[in-house]
Amino acid sequence: MIIAIVSVIISFFLDGLLSNYFNFSLINPSIFKTIYTIVALVVVLPYFNNDRKYLYILFVTAILFDIVYTNTFILNIILFFIIYLLNKFLDFFMPHNLLNSNIRSILSLIVYYILSFSILNIVKYNEYSLSLLLNIITHSIIMTIIYTTILYFITKYLYEKFNIKQIR
Amino acid sequence: MLNTKRKKIPVKYIVIIIIVIIMILFGIFSYTLKEDRKLNVVESLIKDAVVGVQKVVYAPFNYIFNLFSDFQELEKIKEENDILKTSIDRNSAIETENIELRRQIEALKEELNIDYVLTDYEYLNATVISRNIGYWYNTLTIDKGSHNGIETDMVVVNSTGLIGKIISTTNFTSEVRLITTSDTNNKISVSITNGENKLNGLINGYDYENKTLEVEGISNTEEVAIGDKVYTSGLGGIFPSGILIGTVESINTDEYDLAKIINVKPSADFDDINYVSILKRKSDK
Repeated sequence: MIIAIVSVIISFFLDGLLSNYFNFSLINPSIFKTIYTIVALVVVLPYFNNDRKYLYILFVTAILFDIVYTNTFILNIILFFIIYLLNKFLDFFMPHNLLNSNIRSILSLIVYYILSFSILNIVKYNEYSLSLLLNIITHSIIMTIIYTTILYFITKYLYEKFNIKQIR
Repeated sequence: MLNTKRKKIPVKYIVIIIIVIIMILFGIFSYTLKEDRKLNVVESLIKDAVVGVQKVVYAPFNYIFNLFSDFQELEKIKEENDILKTSIDRNSAIETENIELRRQIEALKEELNIDYVLTDYEYLNATVISRNIGYWYNTLTIDKGSHNGIETDMVVVNSTGLIGKIISTTNFTSEVRLITTSDTNNKISVSITNGENKLNGLINGYDYENKTLEVEGISNTEEVAIGDKVYTSGLGGIFPSGILIGTVESINTDEYDLAKIINVKPSADFDDINYVSILKRKSDK
């Protein structure tokens, strides 16, 4: 469980840290931008046999994400939970391997961007065009694949080294 | 024998429950996503604590990054230095004129018995901690908060021009909303300066396709030229006057041919903001 928590914490801080070094904005999306926290939550999910423990981590992370990064309330808790449900659904079709982890991460990111885009447009927080959404999604794919692959191998290595099969 | 059969909830009830939950959530979202929502005490404490940890964690990375960027900038600095040397003489003349103008303003203020004019403000510098995670929010988090005297609606600029305004504060952090947000609730009053003429208009939003700000409210009979400078007008009570926003890039007319729609290229580079200054109008005291 500590490995999973550390992965999520590091990814959470990476979100803030890398936002300062890679120039990007809504106008100019960067190929180095992804949401590292979501990728980490997706990659560590298969190591949890006990969903309750995973959900604790997910909710705490989502609350912090809401408060620290987006200045919102509940929004990311709902979005992260929907991503969790999506991944549980994908469990039926996708065994745990590198390719599937990448597909899950990309799908989760797409769902996150589409839902946040839709909610913010519906409640008139902002009005953005679909072309912006597509631009952001396409720009996020490369870094999502890179980070998922790195995190997949690191977590797999650590879980095998410490002979942990699943978190109970 | 125990009856282990579970009662099945009819599908129509499930659908109704889901719809009600979605409606409640949207109700919550439309309330909590309001720009003027103040963070509660718990949220403020959590944010301050996490940002404090972030600053410690980021410090070594920032140090290394700054070393590299300083090294990269050395070449550029040499060129800039040569240009600056030539403009030093001109600066001293401008400074003398500035002192004289300030003296005149102070004398006029005293004569007219007013405490401040629209150009009066104080600077407070801050560093950007993180920015725009998730893209849509168009915000920056800076390392100064209410403890440093920052309040909502204060104006944020950098060396190149207007960046945005403060939308929320905690004790040690503040959230800055960029002017590139297409938010029609926050129109900024601007002046377009063309020689002797000074025209007032409103920024109506941001055009993401052309990467320009749209200024409306200027009659079609008025003269505006491409390249004219656009400044804040000071009207509206939030932004002080005289802060550079950008230059006129293109001019169109509205569908009735009555008013101009002016596209303004912002002077600030919104992709690369590391340090900002917060302006405090003297009337805020």
